[in-house]
Amino acid sequence: MLKITDLQVKVADKDIINGLNLHIKPGEVHAIMGPNGAGKSTLSYALTGRDGYQVTRGSASLDDQDLLDMEIDQRATAGLFLAFQYPVEIPGVSNMEFLKVAVDAQRLARGATKYSASEFLKLAKAACKQVNLPLSFLKRGVNEGFSGGEKKRNEIMQMIMLEPKLCILDESDSGLDIDALKIVADGINSQRDGKRSFLVITHYQRLLDYIKPDYVHVLADGKIVKSGGPELALELEAQGYSWLESYDRNAGDASE
Amino acid sequence: MSSWLADTIERAEEVNDWLSPKRKKSLSLLKDTRWPTRKTEAWRYTPVNNIERARFNVVESQGAPATDIPHLNAIDIVFIDGIYNAELSSKHFPEGLTITQLSEGNSSSWALDSFSKTKPERHFFGLINDALATQGCIIDIAADATIEQPIRIAQSFKQGTQTHTRILMRLGERASACVIEQLEGDELCFNTSFAEYQLAASAKLEHYRLAMQCADAISLGGCHFHLAEKAKLNSNLIGFGSQLSRVDYDIIHAGQFTDSKFNVIYLLDGKELFDLHSAIEHTQPNGKSEQNIRCIVADHSNAIFNGRIHIHRDAQKILAEMNNRNLLMSENAQINTKPELEIYADDVRCAHGATIAEIDKEAMFYLQSRGLSRNEAQVLLSFGFINELVDLMNNQAVAQWLRPILKQRFAAMEVS
Amino acid sequence: MTEQLDEALSREYEAGFVSDVESRTFEPGLDEDVIRRISAMKDEPQWMLDWRLKAFALWKKMPEPDWAHLQYNKMDFQAISYYSAPKSMDERPKSLDEVDPELLRTYEKLGIPLIEQQQLAGIAVDVVFDSVSVVTTFREKLLEQGVIFCPISDAIREHPELVKKYLGSVVSQKDNFFSTLNCAVFTDGSFVYIPKGTRCPMELSTYFRINELNTGQFERTLIIADEGSHVSYLEGCTAPQRDENQLHAAVVELICLDGAEIKYSTVQNWYPGDENGKGGIYNFVTKRGICHTNAKISWTQVETGSAVTWKYPSCILKGDNSIGEFYSVALTRGAQQADTGTKMIHLGKNTRSTIISKGISAGKSNNTYRGLVHMGKGATGARNFTQCDSLLIGDKCGAHTFPYVESRNPTAIVEHEATTSKVSDDQMFLCQQRGLDPEKAVSMIVNGFCKEVFKELPMEFAVEAGKLLEISLEGSIG
Repeated sequence: MLKITDLQVKVADKDIINGLNLHIKPGEVHAIMGPNGAGKSTLSYALTGRDGYQVTRGSASLDDQDLLDMEIDQRATAGLFLAFQYPVEIPGVSNMEFLKVAVDAQRLARGATKYSASEFLKLAKAACKQVNLPLSFLKRGVNEGFSGGEKKRNEIMQMIMLEPKLCILDESDSGLDIDALKIVADGINSQRDGKRSFLVITHYQRLLDYIKPDYVHVLADGKIVKSGGPELALELEAQGYSWLESYDRNAGDASE
Repeated sequence: MSSWLADTIERAEEVNDWLSPKRKKSLSLLKDTRWPTRKTEAWRYTPVNNIERARFNVVESQGAPATDIPHLNAIDIVFIDGIYNAELSSKHFPEGLTITQLSEGNSSSWALDSFSKTKPERHFFGLINDALATQGCIIDIAADATIEQPIRIAQSFKQGTQTHTRILMRLGERASACVIEQLEGDELCFNTSFAEYQLAASAKLEHYRLAMQCADAISLGGCHFHLAEKAKLNSNLIGFGSQLSRVDYDIIHAGQFTDSKFNVIYLLDGKELFDLHSAIEHTQPNGKSEQNIRCIVADHSNAIFNGRIHIHRDAQKILAEMNNRNLLMSENAQINTKPELEIYADDVRCAHGATIAEIDKEAMFYLQSRGLSRNEAQVLLSFGFINELVDLMNNQAVAQWLRPILKQRFAAMEVS
Repeated sequence: MTEQLDEALSREYEAGFVSDVESRTFEPGLDEDVIRRISAMKDEPQWMLDWRLKAFALWKKMPEPDWAHLQYNKMDFQAISYYSAPKSMDERPKSLDEVDPELLRTYEKLGIPLIEQQQLAGIAVDVVFDSVSVVTTFREKLLEQGVIFCPISDAIREHPELVKKYLGSVVSQKDNFFSTLNCAVFTDGSFVYIPKGTRCPMELSTYFRINELNTGQFERTLIIADEGSHVSYLEGCTAPQRDENQLHAAVVELICLDGAEIKYSTVQNWYPGDENGKGGIYNFVTKRGICHTNAKISWTQVETGSAVTWKYPSCILKGDNSIGEFYSVALTRGAQQADTGTKMIHLGKNTRSTIISKGISAGKSNNTYRGLVHMGKGATGARNFTQCDSLLIGDKCGAHTFPYVESRNPTAIVEHEATTSKVSDDQMFLCQQRGLDPEKAVSMIVNGFCKEVFKELPMEFAVEAGKLLEISLEGSIG
């Protein structure tokens, strides 16, 4: 599904991601953990094509389509979805209108016909319900005046509506209390159908109690320094990230 | 003096009706006022020399009325080419509402008294309107009357016409009403359209001016509001530019605890120009005013905004805000904005902000990451930018009618 | 509360003394002959005189501007003397020992010691007394590095190629009524040239003093920062306390070539007149700089003096990536009026400008910010940020904002914000409850309000500016 090879990303002339390799197969859930500044969000922005995140080396493909060659929206319609850490507010553009245009674009890319207004409304209402957002949110401006938790749930609702192939969840747990976290996790789990893949980016192990990963990777200094099963997350939780420093030093020594 | 102005003055001197005492005064002021040029501060960015060159006739009414606004269920007052059309206008009015025509003559002393009282003398074309507006209506709402039906004053203009209309309205104490001024036409014509609104204590007015004349039209006008104690105004202005479109707004907070909201949308394309000068006068303490001005400017168009908040001496405890945001969409378009504060009282909270920017990059990324193309995202965001103000309109029929019109106009715009 | 604040703001004008110096002063009046005599006094070459006469011819046809938010009695330009200099300056003193001790005392009283041993380290000073430059310190030392710092009248004679090339190149001869008058009658001022790639080793400063009655001061300053150079320049001004209004009409031109940087700071403390508006300096000043590629001009001003201030230090951002900054504190009290601000003209790509203006009005004064931000067609990717804050103290004063914003380029971003506020009772209560007396409380609040600007001043000036405000706030609360 997602194949990243030797990826190098520069932000403002600084290397943030430096030789990252990652392979996610259909239906798999991978978690990327790491300390602040490790390059977790940079990875998600580089994959989705945000301005200012310059890929200087390596490749990234989704179902054998070269992602790096595509526009932001082409990547999205190819099946890549990013649940933002801090979703932006867009006053004046209603959630409903926005969702309709976005779903239309997905349908068009898949060669399917557009939903009729009533079909669409039905789906939107169902999605709203699933993430426990009042229906009135459909009429409000995108994320406008939403609380932190409501914004995160709105992201998951969009994910449900857009039916992507690969979902990147960028710190979807940050700023959530335990109840909100459960709703978000339930929303995500409901979308696990054996084919859809997930890349869960998180600082804490907490979210992984609810979304069980198949693999856990530790990102530090722009590359994956350790990979393992779900037990790795627990290990990190217990030890923190400080052991990475000694790892770094060793790595540095080794390369000299 | 331009020949156009000389002709105009000559015509004005021939006007003889019940308003003549007022007209004479304005005419003599007009004669003492200099023809506005680029050196006249109020006309710095708006050349008026095309008025001097153009030729207009006074013709018989022959055009079509302004577009209907569905579901509005309004009391209609229709003017075609500046002339009242009785056939298309409503004949029966609810209790508490009196509407008479300026041309009928009016014996009530308040009408004569109030004519040209709220509108400041400084408006050059307002003085011309004073002298020449023989068409228009006088709307009187009795104290305590609530007029549920909106009053729509629909004006449309055809090629080659020169017209001057005037609206004079009074809301009695605690009265409430909604007025929609609709102006349409895209052919070369010249019209001045001024309106004066007097709100007695605790009166409430919901007001729309849909200044949707475009392309070749030349339109100069003004809306002037006088708010007595506890009066409340909510006014919305939609500005499509044209060869020359100029509107002057004055909101005079003449009593304590007055409250005004003024929202403006500009949507300019082609070689259109739209110039709004607004002045919010707080002469008494404890008032509140809020203005939001949003402009989208494309192609070769020119948006001009001069907004002034004036807090008079001893008008303490005022809350006044002005927010002007502009999107410049083309290399050949221009924005000229001047948000002014003039403050003579210390215990007030005043703020203004003006920005000229591109569409928010973060929002663009968000929408594109959801699969919207660059163009789709741009249209949605730009429309959202103005739609925010449409969402705030109280009259849903007007808002619903406007949205597709604004969207269509926006989609057709020349952006780079 | 308001009364307390008002009292806290009343102050004595400390620089208001008159120096007892015998002067050679022209009879009031202005005609070609006066201009010829000024030029002759300065021993000027013919081209300079011709330039002056041309300006005078232009000026005679110009109307006095009236667009500013100012009310003052129009001046009688024939009632002003256009030249005055101490007799002791007839022969220009060759060293400090030859300078009239009374003149030295004047500057010592103003806190500017000129005696060699007491000179402030790291600051070179040019002192201008009425129409002449009295002394310029560290002139030779600076010249060792190629830095020219001298009275402009010397520069006209000694560096005509530089003066000819740049004088009037930023502020043209016909720019405005007051600058054109200056072109015709300017007497002295400073000239600075920083050679390529040189970082001026010390702060340069000019101290202007008007002493003689009924004279106007028309100084002219020209600063040229050659490619890649850097200079910080400071300017201070005072005048005696008199019942008559006196005119100060200066022109300052900055030329900032590729990659150069000029930091220009002013602490303006001309005599402001008395509480009722009697006397004080009319300060009509034109200051403008041009930035070439990658150059930067930063204007910082603290305006506390003058009866009337009309001043808009501006930047023409001609070169790509050039930067303009304007930081201003304007304090008006009594019957003072200030109409001040800046113009940022963005012409080049990726040009940046920042405007921070803090206006404080007290008493019966009026304080106006007037500014222009212009984004030209070529200003691709340009940015401006403007913040104008007004603080009102008392209910008899006025605070006004007139910003013009013009954009012709869709990629340029302009942000303008303005607020007004007062020293609130809550703030005062909090400060006093924590043990500050009202004077200190106001002073602290006002200083806090101005902090963003003060931090832009060179250290020595920041102290002086802080003190100026403190003096302003000193009063009889107790």
